Amino acid sequence: MLEVADVSKRFGTLEVLRGVSLSVAPGEVVVVIGPSGSGKTTLLRCINLLEDYERGTVTVDGDPIGYRLDRRAGQRVRMSEREIAAARENVGMVFQSFNLFPHMNALQNVMAAPVRVKGIPRARAEARARELLTMVGLSDKVAEYPVRLSGGQQQRVAIARALAMDPKIMLFDEVTSALDPELVGEVLAAMQQLARAGMTMVVVTHEMSFARDIADRIVFMDDGLVVEQGKPDQLLFSPATDRVRAFLKRYNDRYRI
Amino acid sequence: MPFDLHFIARLIPALIEGAEVTVELAILTFAICLVWGLIVALANSTRGPLSWFAGAYVQIVRNTPLLIQMYIVYFGFSMAGFGLSGFASGLLALCIQNGGYVAEIYRGGLQAVSTRQYEAGRALGMRRWTLYTVVIIPQVVARIVPPMTNQAISITKDTSQVAAIAVMDMMKVAQVWVESSANTYDVFLGVAIIYLVLTSVASVAGKLFERRLAFAQ
Ligand SMILES: Nc1ncnc2c1ncn2[C@@H]1O[C@H](COP(=O)(O)OP(=O)(O)OP(=O)(O)O)[C@@H](O)[C@H]1O
Ligand SMILES: [Mg+2]
Repeated sequence: MLEVADVSKRFGTLEVLRGVSLSVAPGEVVVVIGPSGSGKTTLLRCINLLEDYERGTVTVDGDPIGYRLDRRAGQRVRMSEREIAAARENVGMVFQSFNLFPHMNALQNVMAAPVRVKGIPRARAEARARELLTMVGLSDKVAEYPVRLSGGQQQRVAIARALAMDPKIMLFDEVTSALDPELVGEVLAAMQQLARAGMTMVVVTHEMSFARDIADRIVFMDDGLVVEQGKPDQLLFSPATDRVRAFLKRYNDRYRI
Repeated sequence: MPFDLHFIARLIPALIEGAEVTVELAILTFAICLVWGLIVALANSTRGPLSWFAGAYVQIVRNTPLLIQMYIVYFGFSMAGFGLSGFASGLLALCIQNGGYVAEIYRGGLQAVSTRQYEAGRALGMRRWTLYTVVIIPQVVARIVPPMTNQAISITKDTSQVAAIAVMDMMKVAQVWVESSANTYDVFLGVAIIYLVLTSVASVAGKLFERRLAFAQ
């Protein structure tokens, strides 16, 4: 479903991704963990080209997003803005900071892109938006503006907004990190539900127990590289590399009560 | 003698005639600046020499007195051999200066929209036109209404300076009446009240517009 092939990205002289490859099967939930600064956010942003990158390619369901290989020249060429925008419709993204549109209520936030990007008739888009908001438990908040919603509610609207485009894959970047602890659960529950419904997902998170619950596979990144990946229990309880072991030890020390 | 009712009865129609010129100047200036200021702001947001010119323009017009700009335009054109009317010179000078202020308002409004809003729109597959019309511009408009209202009020008062280049606006009418009578106080009080009425209209219109667009409460 998602093929990330040898992606490299630098900010100035800082190499943030150093040849990352990752493939995600349809319906699979891949959780990405790793220390702060290891490049997790940058990887997600490269997937839908919110960041340009110097090397590598990404395809979704076989279709390139961002760069296309020109076989004759044997080179990567950047796709046109129109092609990139069309490719992004297949990739839903949920941000740590929600990023809802403040001038639209919950319903309008969810409907905007289906109507204005895909040209879906209003009535149909609205029905679908209500359905999605109900699914994330917000049927009573459709007319509310973002400032009147709690962080957890805003993040669930953001999930519904991304789903409204019927993406083939969803990317989540630490979507609960900005939330008060008591609001984390409702967002994770919405993601669980989505995973069970068979959505293909790439989830960056620091919530290890959630990672263990939801993941089909956990990928550990450090210093711009995928260091190790495997089934949740294997990676979390009998990791093969010292780097994962050290990371988990730091994590456990911090959260042990 | 102040508050001479017979005098006031003759004064008011004359002032209102002058006020028509004032209103005309204010509305034209504001309308032109809404467009011209946007052009300057967009030029300012590019990279390269265009933004350098726009930046210099804004600095120069904001940091010199309007009255001097008005003289430079009025006498400059007449020295160059094709004299502009006082009204046209006044309008031009008002637009030159206020265009700089309005450009800064636009710039502030654009900068206040976080890059995350652009990214959220792009991640949903929006292209430039959709992104701007659906996501960015509505937020910019809502943010700039209050400072634009202030600017409209400021422009209304600024128009009084065209009196210096012999335009028969309300201020000039008042000066003529003061010179030909001893009733200085009634004249200027009347002028103040009419300016207050005009600026209040701008203020109320701005507030109504603001309320229509308010989303963040
Ligand atoms: N726009 C940018 N300009 C310069 N450097 C950046 C930029 N964005 C990220 N970086 C740097 O790239 C590196 C990787 O950042 P990234 O945000 O991808 O890490 P992360 O794994 O998501 O970390 P965290 O767990 O803290 O979110 C960091 O060293 C960061 O400082
Ligand atoms: Mg991050």
